[in-house]
Amino acid sequence: MDFLVPLLAQLTNGLIIGFIYALMALGLTLIFGVLKVINFAHGEFYMLGAYISYIASRMLGLHPIIGIIAAVAVVFIIGMLMEKALLTPIYEDKVERKDEYALLITFGLSIFLMNGALVVFGPYQKSPEPLASGVLDLGVLSVSSGRIYAVVLAIIFMAATLFIINKTWLGTALRALSQDRDASTIMGINAKTLGSIAFGLGAAMAGAAGALLAPVFLVFPIMGVVPAIKSFVIIILGSMGSIKGAIYGSLLLGIVESLGVFFLSPSYRDGYSFLLLIIILLVKPKGLFGGSQWNN
Amino acid sequence: MLEVKNVDAGYGKINILNDLSLKARENNLTLLIGPNGAGKSTLLKAIFGFVKTSKGSIEYNGKDISSLPSHQLVDHGISFLLQRVSVFPELTINENLKLGAWAFKKDKQKVTQQLEAMYDKFDVLKQKRNEKAGLMSGGQKRTLEIARMLMSNPKMLLIDEPSAGLSPKIAKEVYQILHGLKDDGITLLMVDQNIRDSIGYSDYVYVLEQGSVSSESKASEVEANLKEVVQSWLKF
Ligand SMILES: Nc1ncnc2c1ncn2[C@@H]1O[C@H](COP(=O)(O)OP(=O)(O)OP(=O)(O)O)[C@@H](O)[C@H]1O
Ligand SMILES: [Mg+2]
Repeated sequence: MDFLVPLLAQLTNGLIIGFIYALMALGLTLIFGVLKVINFAHGEFYMLGAYISYIASRMLGLHPIIGIIAAVAVVFIIGMLMEKALLTPIYEDKVERKDEYALLITFGLSIFLMNGALVVFGPYQKSPEPLASGVLDLGVLSVSSGRIYAVVLAIIFMAATLFIINKTWLGTALRALSQDRDASTIMGINAKTLGSIAFGLGAAMAGAAGALLAPVFLVFPIMGVVPAIKSFVIIILGSMGSIKGAIYGSLLLGIVESLGVFFLSPSYRDGYSFLLLIIILLVKPKGLFGGSQWNN
Repeated sequence: MLEVKNVDAGYGKINILNDLSLKARENNLTLLIGPNGAGKSTLLKAIFGFVKTSKGSIEYNGKDISSLPSHQLVDHGISFLLQRVSVFPELTINENLKLGAWAFKKDKQKVTQQLEAMYDKFDVLKQKRNEKAGLMSGGQKRTLEIARMLMSNPKMLLIDEPSAGLSPKIAKEVYQILHGLKDDGITLLMVDQNIRDSIGYSDYVYVLEQGSVSSESKASEVEANLKEVVQSWLKF
């Protein structure tokens, strides 16, 4: 029974990271659902969020919570502006191969942002102020309080997003837009503006995840690459565009990673997600929630 | 009310409408007929701004609307029933209807009032209000689309094949609903292949061929010679 406590600790950590990835994957799914665009710059919005929380907490001396809120707000605005500047040609019939255009342009944006961060901040790892120091004693196991705060915030952000999507006019319109763009326009919905808002929200969720995980994984220009790849794995796993799929997929990924680290080897941590993806796609080619829509 | 003047429009480089002109008079039901591929749907899409015009103007109450973004036409009282199915399949019937009130979403009371009015008018929708629209039958979806369109209190309706895919009985109900709208002062421009059923409800008829108007007349005149018209129709 001696292995039980460390296993539990691993699982708890896996779940905590899973919840934060869920936030990021939900953002990716939101963007894909509404805009039908796979955002290859998602990891860089995560990186931006982390840097903004770093600037706020270390350079401006603000409370870490303010840093996280600032990260969400600023990345939301940057995301909206980027969408307006780069993706509108898709909806004005100005480009012929829309999917390829979106792929290349977001990929280009990713490289640009990564190198921008390199120029501005240098290649060194920085660490923002953690949300809290010390550990929380939960009886048999203890977890760093910073991580507990992070996961609580992640759950709050996720709940807020789900509330917006399911219960507000904006959310209903976003869901409508994801299902039928022309029909939404006939309702009087401004598809372009809502598209920008969806992109901004999705980016902000990545930014929030970055800010929340920054004290754990540190801040550096290419920090977004691995989380972005994991988000892609998650949303493919959970069926492209399914919200439920994104959430359950993230938790599953967090658990499988920690089990892999515990029973096999920590060196392959990032490989377990792909193994999981391959196995699930072999069994369920459409993903866990194949066929179900972006809604719910 | 609505006047299309010498319009050219098409998809990309392909021109579909050639120097097309027509009028939809106030409080009339103007019927558009013509063979498959004549450009009927393209014309409605051009009026609504889904297809860009490259020549001519589209005037609504004397104002050129051809350069307005499509989503603003609702604010001018124009609504559109697409030829294809256009319910939001994953939204409930209630959510679908509510979106019809998007233009005045801030006025909670008016939204509720309109919803109740639609539920009174269309009992099927009331019974299924919390079901997903994608699960309804073809006729029920068409009914939902019409009700959703009426939520915004439109003054002018663009209607593309209202009875496509419906059984004769349901089609008749749909025609009666649309015809009844004239009593509410609504102007209708309607595309319909099913001339035998729709002509009796219409005021004026345009025949479209290869992207232009080939003939026009009062509906009563067409109705009197329906046999001949249908005969010549078969030549298409
Ligand atoms: N999205 C599109 N892209 C390119 N060409 C199109 C498109 N939609 C329609 N067309 C072409 O435009 C022409 C007119 O089509 P339209 O749909 O307006 O005809 P219609 O009169 O409504 O026919 P139907 O009675 O079959 O509905 C057709 O030749 C069609 O192939
Ligand atoms: Mg048509």
